[in-house]
Amino acid sequence: MQNNGFLQTKEILAITLIVIGSKLADSTPALLAQKAQNGFWLIPVIAFVCIFPSFLIMLYLLNRYQHKNMIELIETITGKWIGKIIGLLLFLFTFLTLTLNSRNYVEQIKLLYFPESPTEIIYLIFFGIVFFGAKRGFEVIGYTSWVALPIIKLSAALVIILIMGNIVIQRVFPIFGSGLPIMLSEGVKSTAIFAELFFLLIAYQSAKKTQMFTKGVIIASIIAILEIVLFYFVYITVFDYNSIGKIAFPFHDIIQYIQFGEFFTNIETIFMIFWLFAAYIKFIIFIYITAWIFGEIFAIRNFEPLLLPFSFLVIMIGLLPINSISNELVLHDSLITIMSPFLIILPVLLWIIALVKGDLKR
Amino acid sequence: MNRKLLMFLFIMLLLAGCYDRIELEQQSYVVAMGIDKTDRKGVYAFTYQIANPEVGSAAGQGGADEAPAEIVTVDGADILSATHTANSFVTKKITLDHTKVIVVSEELARDEDFIRVIQSASRSPQIRRGVQLVVSREDASDFINNNKPLMEQRPHKYYQFMLDRATQTGIIPEATLHRFFQITEGDADLFLAIYATTEQSDQTENKKTEDQYIAGEIPQIGGSPTQFMGSAVFKEGQMIDTFTGEETRFAQILDNTLEMETLFATIPDPLMPEYQIAYNYSQKEDPSINIQYHKEKPTTIDVQIPYQAEILAVPSLIKYSQNKEYQKVLRETLTKRLNEKTAELVRKSQEEYRSDPFYWSLYVRKYFKDVKDYEEADWHKKIYPNAKITVNYKMEKLEFGKMINDSNLDEVRD
Repeated sequence: MQNNGFLQTKEILAITLIVIGSKLADSTPALLAQKAQNGFWLIPVIAFVCIFPSFLIMLYLLNRYQHKNMIELIETITGKWIGKIIGLLLFLFTFLTLTLNSRNYVEQIKLLYFPESPTEIIYLIFFGIVFFGAKRGFEVIGYTSWVALPIIKLSAALVIILIMGNIVIQRVFPIFGSGLPIMLSEGVKSTAIFAELFFLLIAYQSAKKTQMFTKGVIIASIIAILEIVLFYFVYITVFDYNSIGKIAFPFHDIIQYIQFGEFFTNIETIFMIFWLFAAYIKFIIFIYITAWIFGEIFAIRNFEPLLLPFSFLVIMIGLLPINSISNELVLHDSLITIMSPFLIILPVLLWIIALVKGDLKR
Repeated sequence: MNRKLLMFLFIMLLLAGCYDRIELEQQSYVVAMGIDKTDRKGVYAFTYQIANPEVGSAAGQGGADEAPAEIVTVDGADILSATHTANSFVTKKITLDHTKVIVVSEELARDEDFIRVIQSASRSPQIRRGVQLVVSREDASDFINNNKPLMEQRPHKYYQFMLDRATQTGIIPEATLHRFFQITEGDADLFLAIYATTEQSDQTENKKTEDQYIAGEIPQIGGSPTQFMGSAVFKEGQMIDTFTGEETRFAQILDNTLEMETLFATIPDPLMPEYQIAYNYSQKEDPSINIQYHKEKPTTIDVQIPYQAEILAVPSLIKYSQNKEYQKVLRETLTKRLNEKTAELVRKSQEEYRSDPFYWSLYVRKYFKDVKDYEEADWHKKIYPNAKITVNYKMEKLEFGKMINDSNLDEVRD
């Protein structure tokens, strides 16, 4: 494992921001807007409120049991076999999220920029590169994320500035979209849109000090939620409640719409490059932590050779859904609904067990 | 050795990135697209105006004799599949990325199937949301064929400049596909599309003042035959009427989501009505739109419009600039006239269309908790047609330009 524990707060922050922040530019908004209409921009807030306490409990537990990562922690608390089963479940979730997300991204690239190329080829090239990136190890990934972060966020900020003139604030009303009860239940169900926060906990020991990890992850998740809410607010004020549910990739619709004055029109490719850049880093991180979780469960210390078979598996399984719509609106939606209660309850359960066992008294 | 071979094979894979490679030379860029009805249901005639990139550029020597654009018309069920049919006589791949306008014949716009054919446009990633929607009185193919600009021959520049300038003056609205879908899908309010024609109407009258025309009625000598003037009114995705340039301007004044830069207009001189005073209307801040929604009794809508005016020409040579009394009369006449014209438009929209072209439904939304309540309250049928609407213009500033006084007629003619 190429991990000497050199990562600091800023790299952890960058990793988290890229993994979570990319939710603003994929199909998540379309998914949330299906039921909540123009109230969907508040759903991330509700989801975040639901998941954050659980996440903090998890961080607290990790802090109490020094020198353990997430899987080790679960195994210590619940015992070896139950721990392994929970770990396996967690791995399955990570893997499926990775696969469904990747199909969504590949579909975006194909539909919008490479209409003639077959999906298989784009998938292959995309994951070929992701594999080579992941092979460099977690630290290189961390440094890369930190270097790439400013430019990615700068381009996102530029999008906001350019679309500013098309925002009509009143479109936010009626404020609760399709109704407060629907919004609340959707918010709780969609908690798992922040599932990546949990998956990242596998890297708890990767930073120089664990405090750095904790600090980086918490700051990044707060920035990410603000960012996501800002972007979703822009989507709803630009597209209005009847149209937002119909648009599969609102970020790309916006970058196709904006222009630099009268002369520079059709500038979406500029933003597409940075978006693609973020997507690569996101999946590099993602596939790495997937392999890591798997390695931890089966006690494979040197798990990096697993990256290649995993990349291959992701492509093969990712190609299975018949189209991107069913992939996103049916499969991804159900996955999120299943994961949400699991992620909210698991840390609380772990905490109670640890409390009963008396481990926390030390 | 094996490792090197593998590496090589992987690099070969990257060549697949050339799948979508297409040279600029191999593409035909469509600048304007026309859609017409045909005799068969579900089949439309699509007209593509393809720009010739060699004309008008400094580099192109070879294309000196070629026309600036090629115009073709084919029948098809939707926009994209028709491009492939067109390839039976167009040499290169037809690309819609740079389309600036979609021209629709009035006949099709008034058809209830219009929404179907335009919807297919938004599905394609090639057609952008910034494309402007133009309704032509004649067939769209005739419009595109007749449109022979004399000065700006490159078609993409022609549409860009023409529409930009006309939108700035407010005689045509900004009518992007984006806005069309927002308003149509929002199921409230009316959408205004650009109205244009290349054919002179029989009703040409010289008696009207500068902006009370719709396209085709403006008496014109010389220049390109194409006139962009006024707007086509769409309700629920179907055209129902036309607005003159003047009505279009007032609709834009009242709509906070549209921007209009300047507006030159004239009013009869209050002191010598046979002459016209020209003024420049401008707005430094958006009008304030106050809606009080009442569930049981009519909703009240109160609109305050602060505006500034600059007097441009006073052919009657009356000294308005230095006489307080005269100025007061002028100020009152201006405001009164604006109030009257606007009230007339509002009345027309309430009684005839039973909906508003001002996008005011936005301001009533805050009274509803959720979309269901809002849709039940029904802007189209219940709220707007019964609302009590007051519109008040308020003059903030009256300027007289760089001349303090006009020539004194008595002194000139003594």
